[in-house]
Amino acid sequence: MKEILGLEAVTKEYGQGDIKVFALKDVSMSVNQGDFLALAGPSGSGKTTMLNLIGGLDRPTHGKVEVDGVDISRLSGGALSRLRLHKIGFVFQAYNLIPVLTAYENAEYVLMLQGASVKERKRKIMSLLKEVGLDGKENRYPRELSGGQQQRVAIARAIAAEPALVLADEPTANVDSKTAKALLDLMERLNTEKGITFIFSTHDPAVMDRARKLVHLKDGKIEEIEEKESKTREPNAD
Amino acid sequence: MLTLRIAWRNLWRNNRRTAITFAALSLNTAVLIASFALMLGMLDDLVRNATDLVVGQVQVHHPKYRSERSIYDTVIKPGDILQAAASAGIAASPRAYGFGLVSHGKNSAGARFCGVFPEKEKKTVELYKHLLAGNYLPDKPGKKLVLGRKLAKTLEVKVGDEIIVVVQAADGSMGNDIYHVAGILKSMGEGIDRTLAMVHYKDMEDLFALNGTFHEIVLNSSGKMPEDKVAAAILPSAKGNEVMTWRQLMPPLNDMLNAMNGMLILFGAIFFLAAGLGVMNTMLMSTFERIREFGLLKAIGATPWRIIKEVSAEALLLGVASTLAGGAIGTFLAWYFQYHPIDLTGFAPDGISAMGVAMNPEWRATLSPETVWMPIVVMWIISLLAVLWPAVRAARLDPVKALVQV
Ligand SMILES: Nc1ncnc2c1ncn2[C@@H]1O[C@H](COP(=O)(O)OP(=O)(O)O)[C@@H](O)[C@H]1O
Ligand SMILES: [Mg+2]
Repeated sequence: MKEILGLEAVTKEYGQGDIKVFALKDVSMSVNQGDFLALAGPSGSGKTTMLNLIGGLDRPTHGKVEVDGVDISRLSGGALSRLRLHKIGFVFQAYNLIPVLTAYENAEYVLMLQGASVKERKRKIMSLLKEVGLDGKENRYPRELSGGQQQRVAIARAIAAEPALVLADEPTANVDSKTAKALLDLMERLNTEKGITFIFSTHDPAVMDRARKLVHLKDGKIEEIEEKESKTREPNAD
Repeated sequence: MLTLRIAWRNLWRNNRRTAITFAALSLNTAVLIASFALMLGMLDDLVRNATDLVVGQVQVHHPKYRSERSIYDTVIKPGDILQAAASAGIAASPRAYGFGLVSHGKNSAGARFCGVFPEKEKKTVELYKHLLAGNYLPDKPGKKLVLGRKLAKTLEVKVGDEIIVVVQAADGSMGNDIYHVAGILKSMGEGIDRTLAMVHYKDMEDLFALNGTFHEIVLNSSGKMPEDKVAAAILPSAKGNEVMTWRQLMPPLNDMLNAMNGMLILFGAIFFLAAGLGVMNTMLMSTFERIREFGLLKAIGATPWRIIKEVSAEALLLGVASTLAGGAIGTFLAWYFQYHPIDLTGFAPDGISAMGVAMNPEWRATLSPETVWMPIVVMWIISLLAVLWPAVRAARLDPVKALVQV
């Protein structure tokens, strides 16, 4: 299978001099196209830091981060912007959406940045919103949507650009367990049906359980990598 | 366009703040337009009175005449100048001057006689419209006088009264005659009020033995061309003479006009500065409240330039919308004051004169396209300049840090 992401001896330090904090220490791993991977670990273990480095929001102190064959730790600011726009889709824990934009416009925004025509945007976003289960809610503003629906918009936006990787930082931490399950069902379906690669972080065992590959982080280091390739999918509970 | 839609909605997220800035910018624009129009109206009025009443745009004299006031320093080849003016479509009036004594009953006073061809004079300047009593000089000579207001008062004469005139003629002889008062001028400034006695040139020629000579040619295009163009048009035919524009003839007035222009610019600059600070403050506050959102936009691939564009679009929309509203109000006010001038007769019932120039007691605005679009466009530029700093600040945010802001 094609490698889509490779981390080689990645270290991220914060602060200078004596008060150095190692958010990540000498981390190496690789992710294949089509993976459904969870970064698991307690708060402060380095999950957000790792996702930021993979997504080109931040640069490692040492080491190499390769996305789709390109070492992004050496890219300029502009190139990182382009990388985030074309190769990465982000879903955050909360406040994912622009409050003045409707569900439709939030998802449309990335395509506008990519320079797609209004017509193309419309065709794509309407079917995407349907796909994530937001039929008929296109014109609602984020404040008119539930937490779970907002995360669905965020997922639609993340995959609208057809990225190589979708990075989701604790996407279910702010919703109840039933909604969390439904969101994971959606992500899993997008992964299996469309082959979209997901990397999500969590400290919730119920969520970790859904991953097919599980990376355990502790104090900025990888403790264990668990492969669960044979895992059978549960029936859709949405 | 999505960008404009986003900008417009972001603008109205904080209704109150945006409404206050909007109102302030509108008011600013309206006040600027209305006051520019009123000031321009006043300046126009000053210049028009300065030139159209007596002085004209350009005057031609013998080079020594203005310093010596000698009856012998006459305009060289006046016929050529009059012809050049006629072919350029510029009205021209030749004048002759001379000093003498006027008396009525027991009262007498020194007077400065001014001989004109009334039909030419009337085409060149508008003094004839400003009579307090009686009529202007008839087109044909007939020993009639039009007097300055204070001169008539000193002599205690009214229209139709007889006046005895005694002068020293150019040939050295004494000229004396009996004239009648045709009319009395309104207040036109000290010099004219105290000493002017206008007569037909033909009468003057006899009285002073002038022999067809003139001391002054007054030229006026009545607004058709600027004064330097008028001067240039007759310059080749005025060899040996001194050609001066009203700006050179009346340096204090010219200085005053320049000073007033300077004040207008300063006045405008203060307003523009206030508007710029208002926009900057509004945009600083509104971008500060959205740090997390800018982090999000950067995370999903927006470039710094994109964020600068979005933030600038907000300020520009605010500037454009508020200046259009304010522009409409200001234009209406300027239009109103153009047709409903402010009446100043209450302040000065006898008429106002400043620096020897009579002013209309009605203060009228001049509504020109420039007075409307210039403040508006400058306001747009100011809005863009004012948003630069907030926009660049938002664009330079570190997404990782911005994303953890709440
Ligand atoms: N900007 C920062 N400055 C200093 N320390 C930081 C910064 N960001 C994260 N850290 C530290 O790095 C470590 C890992 O943080 P993080 O990646 O946010 O963990 P997680 O997402 O797993 O909770 C923590 O100890 C945290 O305090
Ligand atoms: Mg975290």
